[in-house]
Amino acid sequence: MNKLSILEKTMISLILSTIILVVLIPLLFFLSTAFSNATEMTVFPKSLFAKRNVTVKVVPQDDGKYEILYDYGKGEGYTSIITTSSGEKLEKHFQRQYGLMINGDKLLSIFSITRDEGPKEFTFKKDLFYNFKEFFKVVPNAKSALKNSIIVAALTILISLTLGSMAGYAIARYRFTGRKGINITLLIVRMFPTVGLSVPMAVILIKMGLFDTMIGLALLYSIPNIALTSWITSSIFVGINKNLEEASLIFGANRLQTFWHITLPLAFPAMAASSMYSFLTAWNDTISALILTNKNQTLSLVVYKAIGSSSSGIQYAAAGSIVLIIPALVFTMIIRKYIGQMWGGVKL
Amino acid sequence: MSYFEIKDLQKRYTKGGPLVVDHMDMSIDKGEFIVFLGPSGCGKTTTLRMIAGLEEVSGGDILVDGHSVLALSPREREVSMIFQSYAVWPHMTVYQNIAYPLKLQKIHKNEIDSRVKEAAEITQISGLLDRYPSQLSGGQRQRIAVSRAIVINPKLFLMDEPLSNLDAKLRVSMRTDLREIHNKMGATSIFVTHDQSEAMSLADRIFIMNRGKIEQVGTPMEVYQQSATKFVAGFIGTPPTNFFQVTITRTQDGWYAMNQDVHLRIPERYQQALLPYEEKIVDLGLRPEFINPYSGTSEIPFSKAKVNFVEQQGSHAILITTIEKSIVKIEINDFFNVKPGAILSLTVKKDMMGFFDQTTGKRII
Repeated sequence: MNKLSILEKTMISLILSTIILVVLIPLLFFLSTAFSNATEMTVFPKSLFAKRNVTVKVVPQDDGKYEILYDYGKGEGYTSIITTSSGEKLEKHFQRQYGLMINGDKLLSIFSITRDEGPKEFTFKKDLFYNFKEFFKVVPNAKSALKNSIIVAALTILISLTLGSMAGYAIARYRFTGRKGINITLLIVRMFPTVGLSVPMAVILIKMGLFDTMIGLALLYSIPNIALTSWITSSIFVGINKNLEEASLIFGANRLQTFWHITLPLAFPAMAASSMYSFLTAWNDTISALILTNKNQTLSLVVYKAIGSSSSGIQYAAAGSIVLIIPALVFTMIIRKYIGQMWGGVKL
Repeated sequence: MSYFEIKDLQKRYTKGGPLVVDHMDMSIDKGEFIVFLGPSGCGKTTTLRMIAGLEEVSGGDILVDGHSVLALSPREREVSMIFQSYAVWPHMTVYQNIAYPLKLQKIHKNEIDSRVKEAAEITQISGLLDRYPSQLSGGQRQRIAVSRAIVINPKLFLMDEPLSNLDAKLRVSMRTDLREIHNKMGATSIFVTHDQSEAMSLADRIFIMNRGKIEQVGTPMEVYQQSATKFVAGFIGTPPTNFFQVTITRTQDGWYAMNQDVHLRIPERYQQALLPYEEKIVDLGLRPEFINPYSGTSEIPFSKAKVNFVEQQGSHAILITTIEKSIVKIEINDFFNVKPGAILSLTVKKDMMGFFDQTTGKRII
């Protein structure tokens, strides 16, 4: 490559950093939301990073009450929030507003020091995962939904990979009438929006007794993915030299062993890529899941509902979204290695 | 009875289509190194693939040790094959590639290990066992393929143009190695190629094929010096045989092969066979090295030719000359200072001419 001039370098770095910022800032905001407590959520403009600590000022009052003041950071100094002597109320306030889980009586005993020393600031370490705990508490079926999501995704991958790769192999290796027709039909199937399919599918699944089951949902998700998988894998199968399979047949393997030991490992990158597509369809879909499930909801649907219905705060939904993202990230990271793996030299 | 036999073998790719392999018969003895030689599309690779079981047979039979193998799958035929594209598996290490056939036979690990190492020793790739094929050169990959082929003790070694993807120098050294390995293993080998120098240097017997048929079977010397058909004479030899359409004419001085430009007196020993062809047109074939641009005692003058240019080859030179419009190539070992444009009187060595029937292509004498 030619060397770039300073001007070109500057331009390129400017453009790249802009792109990075455009992508990164919303993500950062989303992350900070997931780790913010209710009080932080009310602050505008919201800071890009969630706070690690909560600082309150406590002013002792007559009749055993304490006035709690909080500095929102708007330059107005401390604002009075609540005045109470009840440990129960204090505990609730601290939990809801600051995401702090501290026993009320303990708070009272901590604050009692102000009786002697006058108004004082107290700093508490925030419970970072409060929102996550709260998400699973607010959305009671979140745990089973996570399990459901994993099951649906696994089933979708299984169905579309087995059927799709077999179809892909047939299209790549055998000449039969209607081969081209099937090829194009697969592409057309891929164009159908799953939402459009889910209403008629609902009817069929109810009749089959598969409504509100994960296998039913996986069947729907597999429809476009079988097509996609056979497209991706057939192009890879075509590229695998027939001699490699023939050599295996000659050197003592039967057809199944040849497929298992030779063809499949060579097509593995294609399998990985298509399984990622299948996974993402199953993992991210909400609308079809909304139509096709009743009690057995998937995680993305639950998160979606949490955003729509939550009166308690968007931060819990954000925490739920992170729970939703992490398995997808882990899966993609595992798969990425194989997608990048190219037989014939370059290993990424 | 021969070790390996093919009887009336036929192959069509489409129903009612042309016969790619046309009623072929052959028999091969144990320990022979056989080369199938022919131009592309002559059915040599198809025949090999049918022997391996990779291709369906449309008719006829293939016998190994007197038993038909047609009903057997490729793995049951106990053959091994070396492909033009090497066909080493890229996702396995060299060791795994060689061990694969043994693993499938469920042989004990220790034995696999010793046999793989022995095979690698023979092909000189012992140092590469842990590498992947993608890290190796074409020659090294072909050595893996050879190791894999010899690690099982096959009834037949099949080689489908194994050297054509290698560079010229490697090809020559590799073919010596292949022949050495064949001798060492006492194997029976069938080698497919379109390269005649490969065929000549390797083969015990060459099967020359054309359009699905065997044109001639013979040792390299036989097919070269006693080419059975016009096709073989034209195919074997670089440069190939020069052909002239001549009429056999009897005059008062004797027999002549004549056309407008050629006037060749036919030696007596040819005359008996040419008797039925009197006053008929036949093909006269003269090999480049038996035509000489000067006259000696044992040579017969036949034509005049103009030199177009000279191809210097070091040990010899090839004169590209024209007689009227047709090109005639002549190999000379001395007399190198011929200049383009020179007119030469051509002579031919006495016993080195061939006459071919125009309709059947078969050699008359």
